[in-house]
Amino acid sequence: MTLGVTAGLIAGAIPGFTIAMAVVLTLPFTFGMTATQGLSTMIGVLVGGLSGGLMAGMLTGIPGTPSSVATTFDGFPMARKGQPGLALGIGVWSSFFGGITGAIVLVTLAPQLARVGLEFGPWDYFALVMFALTITSSLSGKAMLKGIIAGSLGLLVAAIGEDEVNGVARFTFGNDAIRQGFAFLPVLVGLFAFSQLLSDVKDRAKASKPLMPKGAKAVRVEHRRAIVEVLRRWVVVLRSSFIGVFTGILPGAGSSVSNILAYDQAKKASNNPDEFGTGIPDGIVAPESSNNATEGGALIMVMALGIPGDIVTAVMLGALLIHDVVPSPSFISEEPVLAYSIFIAFFFAHFIMVTMQALCLRIFVLITRIPMYILTSVILIYCAIGVFALHNVGFDLWTLFLFGILGYILRNLGFPLAPMILGVVLGDIAELNLNRAWSISNDLSLFITRPWSAFFLTLAAFSTVFPLYQRDRGTKKWTQFYFPIFAFAIAVPVMFMGGTVRPVIASGLILLGVYLLWRRVQKGA
Amino acid sequence: MGRFHIDTLVAIFLLLFCGVFLTASFSIRETSYASLGAEVWPRVILIFLTLLSLGYLIQSLRHPRSKPTEEGPRGPKRWFLSHLNAFWCFLWFGLFLLSLPYLGMLVGGILFVFVTLTSLGRRDWHGHLVHAAIAVIAVGTMWAMFTYGLKVFLPTGTIFPF
Repeated sequence: MTLGVTAGLIAGAIPGFTIAMAVVLTLPFTFGMTATQGLSTMIGVLVGGLSGGLMAGMLTGIPGTPSSVATTFDGFPMARKGQPGLALGIGVWSSFFGGITGAIVLVTLAPQLARVGLEFGPWDYFALVMFALTITSSLSGKAMLKGIIAGSLGLLVAAIGEDEVNGVARFTFGNDAIRQGFAFLPVLVGLFAFSQLLSDVKDRAKASKPLMPKGAKAVRVEHRRAIVEVLRRWVVVLRSSFIGVFTGILPGAGSSVSNILAYDQAKKASNNPDEFGTGIPDGIVAPESSNNATEGGALIMVMALGIPGDIVTAVMLGALLIHDVVPSPSFISEEPVLAYSIFIAFFFAHFIMVTMQALCLRIFVLITRIPMYILTSVILIYCAIGVFALHNVGFDLWTLFLFGILGYILRNLGFPLAPMILGVVLGDIAELNLNRAWSISNDLSLFITRPWSAFFLTLAAFSTVFPLYQRDRGTKKWTQFYFPIFAFAIAVPVMFMGGTVRPVIASGLILLGVYLLWRRVQKGA
Repeated sequence: MGRFHIDTLVAIFLLLFCGVFLTASFSIRETSYASLGAEVWPRVILIFLTLLSLGYLIQSLRHPRSKPTEEGPRGPKRWFLSHLNAFWCFLWFGLFLLSLPYLGMLVGGILFVFVTLTSLGRRDWHGHLVHAAIAVIAVGTMWAMFTYGLKVFLPTGTIFPF
C-alpha cells in the first residue's frame, strides 16, 4: 500500500496524468495478489493521486489532476508569495482531514446504504443504472447529446458477444474471438488511457519538451504550522468534506466537480470573499478537503450497491470482479473481511500519504525533467503488457488497439468518454436486471409503480433536463418551476416507500416544493 | 462543404452504423427457453441510439458551420500534421501486434518503444542512443518483473523465443 500511495502521489503530480490512469496502470500488478492486497494497493494509488495533484498545482501553477484545479487558485499565489512550504502543508493536511472524514462517513454509511439496497428488486436496479448513465451524460455540459450517445455506445459494446443469460452469440460477424465479448479492462485502458496518452503528445513541440520547462523546486513542508492553520478552519474542512462525500455518492460527479463546488461554497460563506484567489489558507483547505472525501462517497456506492460512479471506481469494480468478488447490497455482510479491509485501507492510506509526501516531492521534481513523449512511449508498452497479463489472450491486445483508436477519435470529436466507459461497465448489470424483471413479470408498469424504480427514473428524467435548466436559468420562465416540480415529483415515490422516516422526508419535500413555489409566485407578482 | 460539417458526417456515420447493427440483430438466434430474447436489449439500445443520432444530425444541420479557430482555416494537410504523432503511435502499435507472434513481447516491445521514441522525439545519433537505452531498460525491467516477479507468461516469438 505504501508503494501504491507513492506511485499515486507521483502520478497525480504529473500534469496530464489523471488518477484514473494511475489506478488503471496499477491493476496488472495486483493480479498476483489476494483481493485484499490488490484492493488496498489500488486504494493507496487513489488516495496518493488525489493528494499528488496539489504538488504540481502549487509549485508550478499547473494542476496535476482535474481534482486539484481549485487548489491552484490560492495555492499557487501563496507559494509565489514565498510560503510554498506552508501552502503544501495546508494542502497535505486538508487532504488528510478531508480523507479521514470521508473514511468515517464510508464506514458509517456504506452498511446502512447496503441495507437499503437489499430492498431493491431488478426493476429498481435497472432504473438505478439508467439514472447513473443519464446523470453522467448530463454532467457533460454542452455536449449532453454526445454524452448520451457515448453512454449508449458503451451499452452496445457491452452487448457484443455471448449473451450472459441465454448464451446466444450477438454481433460476432463470424469472428469466433468476439464470441466471448470484449473484456472490460482492455476496453477501458484503450478508451481512456491510450487515447489520453496520444492526446498528450499531439503537439510535437510540447511533447519533446520536459513536462515543466521552468522546473519545480522541492521545498520543506511546514507541517506544524499547517496543522494549526487547518484545525483553525475546522468548519471549512467539515463543510467541504461533506460536499465531497455527497458529490462522490452521486454517479458521474467526481472530485473534479467537488473541489470547485467546495471552493465556491467556502468563498460564499467567507467574511472576506474578495481575498480568495490571493493566496489565503481557506482557498486551499476547501478544495483539498473535498477532493479526498469524494472518493469515500464514491466507494460507498460501489460497496453498497455495486454501481460505480466514475472511471476510478469502475476500475475498482473491475478489480473486484477479477478476484471473483461481485459487489452487491449483500457484499459487506457476505465478504466482511474484504469490505472492512477496504475501509481500513482507505483510512490508513491517508496516514501513509502524509508520510510519503516529502519523498515524493523530490521524485516529482526529477520526473518533471522527462519529456512527455518518453513517458507516453513507455506507458503504451506497459499498457500492452498489463492488458495481456489479464487473461493471457492475444485478442485483448487487439481490443486495446481498437478501442484506443475509437477513444482517440471520440475524444477529438468532443464525445465525453466517461459515459461510454460507464455504459460498458453497467451494460451487463442493466441487461441482467431487465431479464430478471421480465422473468418475474412482463408488466412494464412495475418500473413506474415500484417506489425505488420510480424514484430513480424521476431522478434520471430531471437530470436529463438539468443542462437545459442551467442554460435557460434566469432567461426562461419555466426554469422558475424546475426545483418546486422536482421536489413534488421526488416526494411521491419516497412517500410510498413505507416505514416512518421516509413519509416524513416526503412531507418535508412537499413543504419545500410549496415554499419554493410560493417564493416564485411572490417574485413573479 | 456548405452546411456540412464534421458533426453532420459523424451523425450520418452513426446512422449507418445503427443500420448495420440493427440488420445484424435479426441474425441473432432465437431460443425457445428465453423469457426475454437475446436480441431485445441490443435492439432497444440501437433504436434509442438511432433516435439520438437523428437528433444529432438535425442539431448539426440547424447550427451553422463552426467558426474557424484562431489558428485560421484548417486544411487536410494541417489536420494530418496535427494528428501525426498519434498516427505514428497507432502505426507502430499495429505493427508491434502483428509482429508479436514472431518477435515476442521482449524484442517486439523494445523495438516498439525505440521506434515510437524516435518517431516522436529527436532524430540524431545522441537521440537514438538515448532512445535505445530507454527502450531496453524500460521494457526489459517490465518484462522481467512480469515474467519472474508476477509469474505471468508473456507472448514468446517464433524467431525470438522470449
